[in-house]
Amino acid sequence: MRRMRVVIAEDAAVLRELLAQMLTERGHEVCAAVGDADALRAAVAEHRPDVSVVDIRMPPTHTDEGLHAAIDIRREQPGAGVLLFSQYIETKYATRLLAEGSAGVGYLLKDRVANVAEFTDALARVAAGGTALDPEVVTQLAGAGRRVEGLASLTAREREVLALMAEGRSNAAIAQTLVVSAGTVEKHVAAIFSKLGLPASEDANRRVLAVLRYLGA
Amino acid sequence: MHDTYTGAVRRWAVLRAPFTTRAWAEVAYCLLGFPVAVIGFVLVLVLLVLGAGLTVSLLGAVLGLLLVVVSTGLARVFAAVHRGLAAGLLGERVPSPMLLRPAGRAFARLDARLRDAAGWRSAAYVLVKLPVAAVELYAVGWWLTGLLNLSAPLRWAAFGQRPHEGAEGMPTITPIPVGGGAPHSTSFAGTFVAAAIGAVTLLAAPWVTRGIVAVDRWLVRALLGPGELAQRVRNLEETRALAVDDSAALLRRLERDLHDGAQVRLVALAMSLDMAKEGLGADGEPVADPGRLRRLLETAHSNATEALTELRDLARGLHPPVLDDGLPDALATLAARSTVPVELTVDIPERPTPAIETIAYFCAAELLTNVIKHSGARRAVLRARQEEGLLRLCLTDDGHGGATLGAGSGLPGLTQRVRTVDGTLDISSPDGGPTAVTVALPLHA
Repeated sequence: MRRMRVVIAEDAAVLRELLAQMLTERGHEVCAAVGDADALRAAVAEHRPDVSVVDIRMPPTHTDEGLHAAIDIRREQPGAGVLLFSQYIETKYATRLLAEGSAGVGYLLKDRVANVAEFTDALARVAAGGTALDPEVVTQLAGAGRRVEGLASLTAREREVLALMAEGRSNAAIAQTLVVSAGTVEKHVAAIFSKLGLPASEDANRRVLAVLRYLGA
Repeated sequence: MHDTYTGAVRRWAVLRAPFTTRAWAEVAYCLLGFPVAVIGFVLVLVLLVLGAGLTVSLLGAVLGLLLVVVSTGLARVFAAVHRGLAAGLLGERVPSPMLLRPAGRAFARLDARLRDAAGWRSAAYVLVKLPVAAVELYAVGWWLTGLLNLSAPLRWAAFGQRPHEGAEGMPTITPIPVGGGAPHSTSFAGTFVAAAIGAVTLLAAPWVTRGIVAVDRWLVRALLGPGELAQRVRNLEETRALAVDDSAALLRRLERDLHDGAQVRLVALAMSLDMAKEGLGADGEPVADPGRLRRLLETAHSNATEALTELRDLARGLHPPVLDDGLPDALATLAARSTVPVELTVDIPERPTPAIETIAYFCAAELLTNVIKHSGARRAVLRARQEEGLLRLCLTDDGHGGATLGAGSGLPGLTQRVRTVDGTLDISSPDGGPTAVTVALPLHA
């Protein structure tokens, strides 16, 4: 895995230090680990990291400072990756974050750091300009009483693939996760695109956007 | 010694009465109130009598009822003016009754307006006000005659109203009718008698004014307010809002505590366990770095312990289990945990309802925390007893006093909580101490 330069913004010191330790042990460089949004803006401006891990709820208001900082950062440094994480998934936040493009954006539930390897994978994906959306985002968008025509016609397997697509995974990654061949995944993807009437695309980010737009995010 | 001192103070107050702002405000109230009273009385009475007459005549019943409705509506307007005068000049602040906004068909609206209790009470005040206002004007007369008589020697000197033929001298005016006509001053020296009478009248005037204004104050409170039932409804609405706010605030705090506390700890715990698992490597392989593994497990362990502590504190904050055994045990636990020695006496023969016990417990806990944090006390006394159907909680300490209901003390929050069940919180805390806080709660919420 490529070596990443990371800034961490998380107000709980326990988690901040553990994240820093984990990333350092895996050979990445933690440029700064801060506790609020203003310090995050300053650290990103100074270090220009590949990716920032940003807690949404931080002082002083404990609401959505992290989200605002993330949007600012992406405006000022379009190439900089931002991985937001929080204890709840709010589709509203996902929508606002993705409104300006899905390249180099991630939004994960905090619980996902419990699986260190997967979390680092997601972070690497975002750092490389990809997307990492929590499965919960997709579940909430597809559920919540939304009447999305066509969803009903998908098979259980196709839904699984759709969720993984929305999370920002490539066909190869999906094949690995589901333990099937790449060809099988391609077949599923083609079926999903045709059933939902979406333009087919190989690019992972464009696929995420297409899927999310379809789901109404 | 002390008695002569207070006696002197009282005499001084009597002498000073004509020169206080209160006296002048009352005079202004009497003067301004009179024209309003006359106009209000005439208009309301005419409309009312006309309306009643037409209604009884049956021919113009509808018109009559309409006139009655207009009269009570008009009475509300005059009542508002009187309420404003009483608030501005007497400091007698009476909340205005609810506006009447009947809905539905014309007949239903008319019916509602006819039953407008606040309107009828306003009408009663406007009608009763006229005689009261007349007496109030008479009280102002005492001031005028007092001033006039007091100035008799001056007038004599200035205008030289010496007795000439046919004249009986300068008349002295008295506010009280005197048999055989008012005395007259027939010489310059005599005018000083008039001046003395004037001075006495002027000293008495504020008390006459205050007397009749007191009657008016009582009428204002009785007739111009929203009425007892409406007041009770308003009070209940207010305390209900407090209760709702209180529980919303509690939930918000709970979420915040969980979010910043136990949840973070558990995420960190899971994370360090996963890192440790990775460090172990595959089955059968030797562990690469046992020291790192040990540190990770230590982190995991401390996070687990912290999470447990935080959850336990949170649970106890919601409902202390010891309360299940009753208030005496719970208060004893509180007293035992306090770092300031607490002398506790409990006498509650009848067990209050759980909600009351909970509020009493949290009041005691918060008040004790205040004693420990702010009072600088060396010891405190906590008494809980049942009295006249109330649970009375009294905490006194020997600290430096100066506790207020201001922000930061937690006392406003407690007062709100206590009010939600019609309880009261009283505080006495002079600078230098001692501080005594008494919380009275009904036994049943």
